Amino acid sequence: MSVEITSTLAKHIAEKIIKQPSRVITPDEPIISSGLIDSFSLMDLALYVEDTFGVRIDDTELNATSFDSLDQLASLIQSRKA
Amino acid sequence: MTIVQLGIFALVAILIGQLKKSRELAILAASVFVLFWLQPSQQFVSLVFWIPAATIGLTIFTWLLVSTPESRVWEVNWPSILVIAVVVLLIDLNQFFGLETIYMTTTPRLWMIGTGFIVYISFLMAATRLADKLKFLLTAVFIGIIFLLVYLKTPFLISKSFELIYALRGQESPAEAHYIFSWLGFSYITFRLMHTVRDFQTGRLPALNLGEYVNYVIFFPSFTAGPIDRAERFVQELRTPIALADQDWLEAGKRFFLGMFKKFVIADSLALIAINEMLVNQVHSAAWMWFFLYMYSLRIYFDFSGYTDVAIGLARVMGVRLPENFASPYFKPNLTLFWNSWHMTLTQWFRAYLFNPMTRWMRTKNISIPLIIFATQICTMSLIGLWHGVSWNFLLWGIWHGVGLFIQNRWSEFVRVRTTSPLPPRRQLLLNAGGIFLTFNFVSLGWLFFTLPSPQIALLAMSKLFGIGL
Repeated sequence: MSVEITSTLAKHIAEKIIKQPSRVITPDEPIISSGLIDSFSLMDLALYVEDTFGVRIDDTELNATSFDSLDQLASLIQSRKA
Repeated sequence: MTIVQLGIFALVAILIGQLKKSRELAILAASVFVLFWLQPSQQFVSLVFWIPAATIGLTIFTWLLVSTPESRVWEVNWPSILVIAVVVLLIDLNQFFGLETIYMTTTPRLWMIGTGFIVYISFLMAATRLADKLKFLLTAVFIGIIFLLVYLKTPFLISKSFELIYALRGQESPAEAHYIFSWLGFSYITFRLMHTVRDFQTGRLPALNLGEYVNYVIFFPSFTAGPIDRAERFVQELRTPIALADQDWLEAGKRFFLGMFKKFVIADSLALIAINEMLVNQVHSAAWMWFFLYMYSLRIYFDFSGYTDVAIGLARVMGVRLPENFASPYFKPNLTLFWNSWHMTLTQWFRAYLFNPMTRWMRTKNISIPLIIFATQICTMSLIGLWHGVSWNFLLWGIWHGVGLFIQNRWSEFVRVRTTSPLPPRRQLLLNAGGIFLTFNFVSLGWLFFTLPSPQIALLAMSKLFGIGL
């Protein structure tokens, strides 16, 4: 399940957010602290997560402390779904 | 703050760190005392007492509104109430003790604080009854805090209100146009209070008892200059029993002394050669202007990050890990990364409570992406500027960064969609070095608005830096 989530997220980020479809984003790669996703794109990612997985990510959670890798974001999504 | 004051802080922190029990109450007593102790002199002497008293009053009132009925029970909170009351009373009794080196001796008469206390308690009791029914009170407090902050940050409003007070008293106002009115720590306290109000409204604030809440808002290592922690994180630290290993002591000591060195040795030395109004008027060489500007950039970093180190070190020996506020900001290859590593807890606050909600709202409307980015960046950075003080200089500094972030964002987007494969390492390294150079210079130029007294002088400095008007 977690692998499915991270690969869906990785595909979305590469294609729609950073617009580099060939870019491979590994599940443990820092995506916020590294600057790969800026604060504006982070909101786009949150809206995508909310639409796709039906879980709410609060505005106060959009930072590297709450999640910085796809693995961490996937656990957050799973904990909300549960 | 002086070296002696910080030295005393360190001793107190070490003593508190030894306590196995009642650590929370000891921190509370120290924080309440420090709140009064550090309050600077005022136009009206009595305010040196009443301003910190009002800080505590406002904090307790806000706690009442954001706490749950279970966390408001007397059995849990009476020790904190007692500690706060005893410390305030002891400070007031300094009129009899006469310890001038510790606090002023002209504290309000006992009957005055007695009356103030009774009025305040009656007000709190009424508010407690109404709090759960009148939800608008929360919004009113939120807006009230913003108004108070705007008032405190606007010299014009302060002058006008003081003139009014003198007029009402039938006295002539003093000749000097600048009135001394400073509410110590309010800039930071505001953000902590607003964060708890918003999170309570969205159901994200954990239940906090009075001691925990007041400690969070006025925690003495961080109440004057941050970092701005989040309540849930801070309280988790406070609730964890203290167990300091040798490694913790070593790290805390390292942070404290490193911070003292950065602040009192490096920053204070750099202050002698950092750009100021006099230098801008007297220097006729662009190269020297750049030198003095760079010295200011370094000075503000060492001063501010030095203080953060001290605060983190002090908190650590009391078993509280404060969040980091700086992460090598001048080594970042673009402006976005700079702002992710400069005064991080402030920018995180603005992201959480302004930038993200604003972006979310605009994304649901049919607004073009560049316009959203422009509006949110300018708005956020202008407010961060104005938070330092309501003046053209701070506003221009904010706009400078807002525009810079927008341009950098659009440029990165432009380059990114055209980059199909990763750059060779050598080229990437060069690009990063160029980015660091550009970002540092952009930030440094921005400091001109921040530190010089008027936009005219900032613009004069900027033209001299580029060889015009030397």
